[in-house]
Amino acid sequence: MIQMKLNGLDVQAEEGWTVLETCRFYGIEIPTLCYKEHLSPYGACRLCTVEIGEGDSTKLVSSCTYPVSDGLVVRTHTNRVQKARKMLIELHVALCPTSKVIQDLASKMGVTQVRFEPKWEDCVLCGLCVRMCKEQMDGKAIGFVDRGRNRRITSPFDIKSEECRLCGGCIWICPACQTRCDGPNPESVLCNACLMTETTCLDVYDDMQCWMGGKGECGMCIREDTVAKEKTE
Amino acid sequence: MATAKRAPTKKATKSYRTHVRVCVGTGCVSNGALDIKEALEKEVKKQKLDKKVLVVTTGCHGFCERGPMVHVQPDDIFYQKLKVIDIPHIVQEHFLNGRPVKKFIYKPPKSKEALPKMSDIEFFKHQQLIVLRNRGRIDPEQIDEYIAYDGYTALAKTLTTMKPKDVIKEIKASGLRGRGGAGFPTGMKWELCRNATGDVKYIVCNADEGDPGAFMDRSVLESDPHSVLEGMLIGAYAIGASEGFIYVRHEYPLALECINKAIKQASSYGLLGKNILDSEFSFKMHVVQGGGAFVCGEESALLGSIMGRRPEPVQRPPYPVEKGLWGKPTSINNVETWANIPPIINNGAEWFSSIGTKTSKGTKIFALVGKVKNTGLIEVPMGTTLRQIIFDIGGGIMDDKDFKAVQTGGPSGGCIPKKLLDLPVDYEQLTAAGSMMGSGGMIVMDNATCMVDVAKYFLNFLAEESCGKCMSCREGTQRMLEIVTRITEGKGREGDIELLEELAETVRDASMCGLGQTAANPVLSTLRYFRKEYDLHIKYKRCPAKVCKSMINFYIVPERCTGCQRCVEACPVGAITGPRSEPHNLDVSKCIRCRACYEICKFNAIEDVVVDAIRIISGVGVEEESEA
Amino acid sequence: MPKLKVEDLAKIKEKTRKMTVLREGAGKAKVTVHMGTCGIASGAREIMSALLDEMKKKDTKDVIVTTSGCAGLCSQEPMATVELKGAAPVKYVDLTPEKIREVFNKHVLGGEVVKEYALAVGSERMY
Repeated sequence: MIQMKLNGLDVQAEEGWTVLETCRFYGIEIPTLCYKEHLSPYGACRLCTVEIGEGDSTKLVSSCTYPVSDGLVVRTHTNRVQKARKMLIELHVALCPTSKVIQDLASKMGVTQVRFEPKWEDCVLCGLCVRMCKEQMDGKAIGFVDRGRNRRITSPFDIKSEECRLCGGCIWICPACQTRCDGPNPESVLCNACLMTETTCLDVYDDMQCWMGGKGECGMCIREDTVAKEKTE
Repeated sequence: MATAKRAPTKKATKSYRTHVRVCVGTGCVSNGALDIKEALEKEVKKQKLDKKVLVVTTGCHGFCERGPMVHVQPDDIFYQKLKVIDIPHIVQEHFLNGRPVKKFIYKPPKSKEALPKMSDIEFFKHQQLIVLRNRGRIDPEQIDEYIAYDGYTALAKTLTTMKPKDVIKEIKASGLRGRGGAGFPTGMKWELCRNATGDVKYIVCNADEGDPGAFMDRSVLESDPHSVLEGMLIGAYAIGASEGFIYVRHEYPLALECINKAIKQASSYGLLGKNILDSEFSFKMHVVQGGGAFVCGEESALLGSIMGRRPEPVQRPPYPVEKGLWGKPTSINNVETWANIPPIINNGAEWFSSIGTKTSKGTKIFALVGKVKNTGLIEVPMGTTLRQIIFDIGGGIMDDKDFKAVQTGGPSGGCIPKKLLDLPVDYEQLTAAGSMMGSGGMIVMDNATCMVDVAKYFLNFLAEESCGKCMSCREGTQRMLEIVTRITEGKGREGDIELLEELAETVRDASMCGLGQTAANPVLSTLRYFRKEYDLHIKYKRCPAKVCKSMINFYIVPERCTGCQRCVEACPVGAITGPRSEPHNLDVSKCIRCRACYEICKFNAIEDVVVDAIRIISGVGVEEESEA
Repeated sequence: MPKLKVEDLAKIKEKTRKMTVLREGAGKAKVTVHMGTCGIASGAREIMSALLDEMKKKDTKDVIVTTSGCAGLCSQEPMATVELKGAAPVKYVDLTPEKIREVFNKHVLGGEVVKEYALAVGSERMY
């Protein structure tokens, strides 16, 4: 057993746990986006940031990837941490305002302004689809390509993947695809209220980011078509 | 060949007024000295001087290149490179008329005092070469020349007289800290690696050197590759590693060539491979070529690259000394750090720690570049001040302009202003000033540099080079770049600086690796020392350094323009018009601010003026340049 | 080449110094052309060619020509160091193929330092 301090309390943790797992075990809520249980943690969104250490050696780390160790001191809601999380969610909203998951997180954190020009991207590069494909579905059909401004997710060499089995796992797990937010109006990129209760991904957006090779080839579309086909026949 | 005349007796010679000593050493004879002698005797007799002028022969004077030569005493005139046809003239002018013939007199090169010694030259005299000890004196492609200057003696000493623990103790005592930038104590890193569990261990040399303006690692690999090999061998012995990797960025073809040649030569001497120098120690070295990403200088990304993975930094702990290459304990050190090892082993930790400051021992190589007179690579003891480096060694600012700032530590570092010129170079001091030591790049800037533009340059670099994993780094650098770019385009808004500072804090705090954590430094340090310059850009749309294109205009001063048409030809967009010999006209609406006309005008007729919207509109006076 | 023993290091040192260090051995002069990347970028290869060509023309046999890496003062490359036996080495800077030919004739063969192209005389302090 590991002995550590969590928000001033002496707690115990198992060898091999991450700080996030420990926090959740003790019921402390930490915002996450790119973290999903049963998939390996990645640390892309940085929302799960917590403060560790004392005095001069204090620093912020992503709790989903940081391993626990004896004597570790963790603080999950200091001013420094909360400021960082707020700014991070601002960046997320500005990047992809149409994601309900992201808008909900912004509401929860009490973010009232987004001071950046919205980019209206469909992907926040959280990497969940990559990990889903590789670890859960054993497909390994998509991955990260390039770096910096040009970083994106695609199949090797941007050509239709032969490894992809059209399972739709990537779309299912994507926080931007999952539930599209119809809320944000042009004046303010922030929604702060949820107006949509159903999955809208495929109904509303034609040019969503899909690597199944082309429209009408991903699992969901085909099933719907056959249903419609049966109805007309 | 005629034989030489026997020299006359002493008594006889006293009666002659002039002695003409002809050199008849082999060199001069083969150049016709005997003919010269004959011609002299003939002419002397002809002029009836044979009782007053004595022609004698002497042995070689030594200055064979100057023959045939003749020494006239007591005048002490030295004639050289004589030809037979010159003789009559010399005899008449000099011996008869008493006027030595200047044309044939030897002119010694101006005395040695006029040509300065290396130890007098400011650029060289303040330097203390440890890593660059073989600079300029060995051929890097000849291992024997490295050995000729005590190469591999440190390795021999290590393998024959020291145990691994002794080596680590020595390096710890020396106080050597990582020269890649972070400054982690090298001895401690080696100790942690040695003590980590596992039999298989690796060492790595980080020669990625991505900082713009830094080239010391390249120079060491090109000029003295064996110093790195020897250092790595000693380190491997101390840690217990049997394999090493040198990761060189692919943009260094000459360095790659040199290190590969050096490894080949060392291997053929048995200095790499099994049972080195007849000891139990065996070691294999590999060279890995980078793929062109700055982030590969980050240790965990570098390891990922060697393993064939996507070079993305990973969360630490566990640190590479525990779990590095393929999960094994690995010690990664910079080129300069490795090259310091042989001298420390040979001369001792005490010697090394006597150089430098309390916390930063030894010397550091800096790439002194930018607007300084003497650009190049310098190695100075830690603790040397920036002023000494820039003004003594560097010779001051080019074109005698004013110093404005010096950028240290590459894109992870910051700018240091005039008031901190007496700062000694030392890990802690540079960090406290808002910059960092980094790999040693030192970019000197003059007052024609816009600090907002500098911030924009580094942000652009980082936005390109960020691996992109962390939202804070990827989006953070892009958004900071967006804001700063707007400011340089004259579209800065109230609140921009506050937003920049807030964003910078998050980028620094929430990013996982060193690149992201220091990505805000260019912005933060320029804001700290040059805030006024930012304010001028935002509030008054004014660029005091006259760099930001949207805020300057070019204007031809009619009184100075001679109508020479040079600028008309130079302008790439045809913005300047006007007939020959009449003052030309510059159309501001077409001008792209490329400065081609400004550079080419010989009459100072083109001025770059700062456009100051508010001043023009409201007539309000504006403070001049920001004080550094 | 055979595998080295510790004693061999000293032997190689002695042998090499005789060949490359004028004070200790052969040759009446040694010219080192500095060929780091900075030197090559400013034309050190052309300097080397011109030098070797001039030597061939003058049929010189006892002058050692060698290369080394960057000499440090990168802004004044291409550089070459000329050392005559018995004299301190002289560093020449900002060279061109014409200048190196002049330096070879006047200094290496003639013994006279070409002041206009020289930076300094002597060596750097090591350690």
